[in-house]
Amino acid sequence: MGNNRASINMHPVLERSSKLERGSSVKRWITSQWMQQAFFVGPAILFYSIVIAIPFFFGIYYSMTSWDGVSGNAVWVGLNNFSTIFLKDPEFGQSFWFTTRFTLTAVILNNVIGFALAYLLSLPLKSRSAIRTIFFLPNVLGGLVLGFIWQFILVQGFPGIGKLTHLSFFTLPWLGTEATAYWALIIVSVWQGAGYLMVIYIAGLANVPKDLIEASVIDGAGKWQILKNIIIPLIMPTVTVCLFISISWTFKMFDLNYSLTSGGPYGSTESVAMNIYNEAFGNNRYGLGTAKALIFFVAVTFITLIQVKLTKSREVEM
Amino acid sequence: MKRSFIISCVLVLMCCLLAACGANSNSGANTGNDAAGTGGSNAQKEVTIKLYQQKVEIAEQLKVLKAEYEKTHPGVKIEIESVLSSQYGTKLKAKLAANEMPDIFNNGGYSDMDVWADHLEDLTDQPWVSDAVDSAKAPMMKDGKLYGFPLSLEGSGLVYNKDMFAKAGITELPKTLSELEEASKKLKAQGYTPFVNDYASVWDLGITIFDSFMAKVPDTDKFIADLNSGAATFAGNDVFKGLPKYLDIAMKNGNPNPLTTDYNTSMTMFATGQGAMIPAGNWIQPLVDKINPNIQAGLMPMPVSDDADFNKNAVFTSPTVWVVNKNSPVKEQAKEFLNWLVTSDIGKQYVAKEFKLVPAFKSIKADPADVGSIGADLTKFSEEGNSLPMQASKMPEGLYTEIAQSMQKYVAGKSTPDQMLAEFQASWNKLKK
Repeated sequence: MGNNRASINMHPVLERSSKLERGSSVKRWITSQWMQQAFFVGPAILFYSIVIAIPFFFGIYYSMTSWDGVSGNAVWVGLNNFSTIFLKDPEFGQSFWFTTRFTLTAVILNNVIGFALAYLLSLPLKSRSAIRTIFFLPNVLGGLVLGFIWQFILVQGFPGIGKLTHLSFFTLPWLGTEATAYWALIIVSVWQGAGYLMVIYIAGLANVPKDLIEASVIDGAGKWQILKNIIIPLIMPTVTVCLFISISWTFKMFDLNYSLTSGGPYGSTESVAMNIYNEAFGNNRYGLGTAKALIFFVAVTFITLIQVKLTKSREVEM
Repeated sequence: MKRSFIISCVLVLMCCLLAACGANSNSGANTGNDAAGTGGSNAQKEVTIKLYQQKVEIAEQLKVLKAEYEKTHPGVKIEIESVLSSQYGTKLKAKLAANEMPDIFNNGGYSDMDVWADHLEDLTDQPWVSDAVDSAKAPMMKDGKLYGFPLSLEGSGLVYNKDMFAKAGITELPKTLSELEEASKKLKAQGYTPFVNDYASVWDLGITIFDSFMAKVPDTDKFIADLNSGAATFAGNDVFKGLPKYLDIAMKNGNPNPLTTDYNTSMTMFATGQGAMIPAGNWIQPLVDKINPNIQAGLMPMPVSDDADFNKNAVFTSPTVWVVNKNSPVKEQAKEFLNWLVTSDIGKQYVAKEFKLVPAFKSIKADPADVGSIGADLTKFSEEGNSLPMQASKMPEGLYTEIAQSMQKYVAGKSTPDQMLAEFQASWNKLKK
């Protein structure tokens, strides 16, 4: 900074001395706007394109080949893979239907429970930071670890409790039937996700102006009226974010699915991500797998766009 | 001043980082060149052979063997990674995609060999080739060349607890499905659970059980060709009519919740006497011995029909095959290691005694005391000529998972025998090449 001020004060003739000129032009180049942006954003763009963008375009290419994922040559088959998926692969449709059902239930439960926790834990309780930590903790564990822990709890722990207490809830064949496997996945994903959404909702609730609530209390509004008519409209931006996060989470669920049920029993809890994985790596049909992944990408984009549009329209400007 | 100083500092740091990355890859390439240059002899620089294998049962013993080898071969390090069979294939492909291919890895032969053909080193000129058993080499032969190293022979069928059978008064092993049901009744009368069903494991359903039926089909190769051309169907095959019957018997006399019982749980159950029979093979011996060293286990063919003569040779053998990565910079050292394993005294001792495997080499004789009671039964069956080759690796990739899912559906009561066989057919048609 000192340098700059000096150059302004300097006489124009003096400034033209050749040595100074060269030095300052290099300096100007280094500190220029363009250079700064390239410096700070460049690495991110570089890694983004290496890790995400380039593989994505490779994926589009592979989706039109019958590559097996191992051999050296990929044979071009045009749009054949896509017609195979739509006409001859009922399993893909089934796993799409399962994922949709699962997403609906999990997203609603995740957000309702996350919001309820946030609402209760913004009340002036003594131990609220400890309780917040406890609810957030499952999110720190990775999905794979969580899946294996819960598999143990459901398969070994629950029958043990069931033997002692004779409660029918614990003696169910957990993970052994379609329904129990479905609900087991829901329980674990809500247990994992609600704490994270809770943190976002707490931040949203903290931003609701106290004076508005005070004014409504003076006007004689009850707890439920305050919640319904003031708090919820004011935290709609947070709801948008939370819905967006939880929809894309659950729709793309893989690790939990893989470690908890592996799609079983008999493929009834196979999420789309897992169907793609099995097609590409289990059946050695990499081309078909990437074609499925592409369809999945379009579907997820479409669904989240609609959701953002819907909830955005309900947001209230202060 | 301050800003340009910070910028230059960051630039210097970044250069260091980049240089470090560059240096790393350079040194990698160097060891590669060295290894190729000096061949099998002791290389100056330390080389690492990466062994990635799917016999978790011998993971511990391999670690000891690795120490032995590194002691006598200075400069050579072996890195071993063992992964369950059911996850092996996908993880290997992940390694390929990440450009971290191991130097020695497993291959199932036949169609699996074709998939990996671009990566397999020709091993025809190796000194051990003439010593290997022919049936073990067959899956890895292509155009007269051998591409795999058969570590051992494996056999599968029904593994049973000899003590329980004796206590239940079963003197003759069941040879038909009806006799199997009779034996189950006798076991139940003694308070034993006859079957351990680990139907959460797609491997055991789709390979161990399914193959017991597939291999029994007369002229299997023709049947597979007919399935591909559409001339034959599963529903129209006599042997496969026995499959739902077998599953019924096993389910009626099995443990609760078979669909949530996985491989590891089932091993514990069998070894601790919570079941008398389990569809498996001699590969479970080390695991079972570890849990219960006193167990007396045997191997019998899995009955597939009510024709006793038809069921007598139904122990299926297949080799565990290791292959060498053609593109590996240390492939010479890898070959040297394989050669050492079956020609040196220590190596031979490990193959026959410590691994508890039935060796696939004529010069290595397996002592029944070493290969365990299951291995001894397997040796007996294969010496009597009552064995059939395994078929799993001749089938389309990924078929066994779908087959297993159809079988899970059947045992859960969600489909009829006809529907199950129709689903087999649909999976085959979908996945055939």
